[in-house]
Amino acid sequence: MNIETLLPQLFNGIQFGVLMALLATGLSLIFGMLGIVNFAHGSLYMLGAYFVWTFMWLLNIPGNFWVSLVLSFFSLGIVGLIIERFLLKPMYGQPPVYQILITFGLMLVIQQGVALTYGTAPLPLGIPPHFGGEMNLGLVHYPTYRLFTMILGLIVIFALWIFVERSAFGAIIRASAEDSETARTLGINTRRVYTWTFMLGCALAGLGGGLHAPLIGGLQHPIGTEILLINFIIVVIGGMGSIRGALLGGIILGIVRGLAGVFWAPASDFVMFVVMGIILLFRPQGLLGRGTIG
Amino acid sequence: MNEKTSLTRKGSSELRVAIIMAAILIPVYFILPSKMMGSEILIMALPALAFILLFGYTGLLHFGMGSLFAVGAYTAGILLTRYQAPILVALIAGIVMTGIVAIIVGYFCIQRGGMIFSLLTLAFNQLIWFTIWQWKSFTGGPDGILGIQRTRLDLSVLAINLKPTFNFFLFVLLLFLLAFLFVRRLIESPFGKVLMGMRESELRATAIGYNPGTYKWIAFILSAMICGLGGALFALHQEYVGEHIANWFTSGEIVIMALLGGVFVPYGALIGAGLFIFLSDFLNKFTFLSQAGAWLLVFGVIFILVVMFLRGGIYGGAQKVWGAIKGDG
Repeated sequence: MNIETLLPQLFNGIQFGVLMALLATGLSLIFGMLGIVNFAHGSLYMLGAYFVWTFMWLLNIPGNFWVSLVLSFFSLGIVGLIIERFLLKPMYGQPPVYQILITFGLMLVIQQGVALTYGTAPLPLGIPPHFGGEMNLGLVHYPTYRLFTMILGLIVIFALWIFVERSAFGAIIRASAEDSETARTLGINTRRVYTWTFMLGCALAGLGGGLHAPLIGGLQHPIGTEILLINFIIVVIGGMGSIRGALLGGIILGIVRGLAGVFWAPASDFVMFVVMGIILLFRPQGLLGRGTIG
Repeated sequence: MNEKTSLTRKGSSELRVAIIMAAILIPVYFILPSKMMGSEILIMALPALAFILLFGYTGLLHFGMGSLFAVGAYTAGILLTRYQAPILVALIAGIVMTGIVAIIVGYFCIQRGGMIFSLLTLAFNQLIWFTIWQWKSFTGGPDGILGIQRTRLDLSVLAINLKPTFNFFLFVLLLFLLAFLFVRRLIESPFGKVLMGMRESELRATAIGYNPGTYKWIAFILSAMICGLGGALFALHQEYVGEHIANWFTSGEIVIMALLGGVFVPYGALIGAGLFIFLSDFLNKFTFLSQAGAWLLVFGVIFILVVMFLRGGIYGGAQKVWGAIKGDG
């Protein structure tokens, strides 16, 4: 065991963690605002990856991966709009468990719908051109595309954090999440804020799925399931509703998974649960959880 | 004195319920399309019943019933094959083992209420599945437990051969009715009232002086034990235990069954399990539906509609229709 074998694993861990944090941010925002755990989040991630594949197939132009990625982000936003408008909105004001159950049913529908539409055989999706090589980072050569997803993920999460913490719309989001009744008295249309937040959360899942797609090897409809579980663990570790918590949780999980995998491959799944158990015992609200968005 | 008479009266009414249910269910066995389906429905109704106890009466949305079911099944399966344990011992061990696992899992899960509970039960579900999958020397890993024999049930007073499906069905029916009546009694007991009070307002229950954590934990363990009984019976039913029953998918199926049947009455478990198993068997007869699991798509749509428009499930819906017919709707 030397530094040359450990470092790439560490990098892979961080890269995976950042990508998952991107998804978990969406999950966390939805929870902070609507008070529901979105069980369909993994399926939306999977849908994002399939959308990228579909758009690439439809648009046979150079640079189509990037166009497809952007299209996937916006398409998932629209999917989110439809879900919120027709399935979740009628349920507001009722116990939130029923909204969770709706998202659970949705997970089945999306997953089996994709299996029916695209078949169960894996769909190949290569690394986009010019990103296939490796980059010299001094100590280690690291695949360019992985490095890119890491940087883009960090930028998006950081931008989102700035947006929620500093912008006027962010203030509306935080106000609606913290006390929707008072926000309404002040003339804020909280229903619309709910819709926008849910759309944003879904769009982030789509972006995450699209970005991850070239690294998966072959798209298959169950890929969302494991991702959903990892995201749940990240938000439990980081704290529900917290963007920084999602990033911290993602990176911790990624590093722990990456390093544990070096020693014993199955351990990489096992340690996630151990970390979660420890956090739950000593800090049940999560590392940065405050019970509201921020 | 008064208390005692009311209890005995309750006891006789429970017996009446059991006899009526048996009288309805035994003929159903002969109508069902396959000989094994009757016991399968009763067995799957047990985890659904466990789910209803937690969700319908305590308000806790449990997404890990599949793994607890698997603990019961694996415990019974391993004891029957590797240690040649008598069937009754294997069943009891299945229940006890599931209870022990639930003590630990439940402790973690009830730390955070509401949403986080659902999410943690799912995480623990996968942890248990993962353990079963990896621990090949003990659980058989992907191969599962093979060679379980459904043989004679030897009690000192009588011995029954469980191999014939009808004998096994009667045996399962007896255990199901016992569990069913236990849940009914539990719900009617002061303990059950506290659970329901907590479901309505946890703050108020705490203010009165109940500790919601302890009550939730006990409810979690009791429901897990019912689920474990189902699992142990399932090992006998299939004469095989596979790791797939521990996967979250089974947990999801149990959630669907309970919601379909109705989560506010114990009967919902039976109706839901019956409908789910019958319908999935029916839908899988069509090749275009059995391919790529499209029948699950059908269930997904039905499930969403039930959650949105038929909160009390089939039972609640039937109750409403009956009320409308009687004219007091």
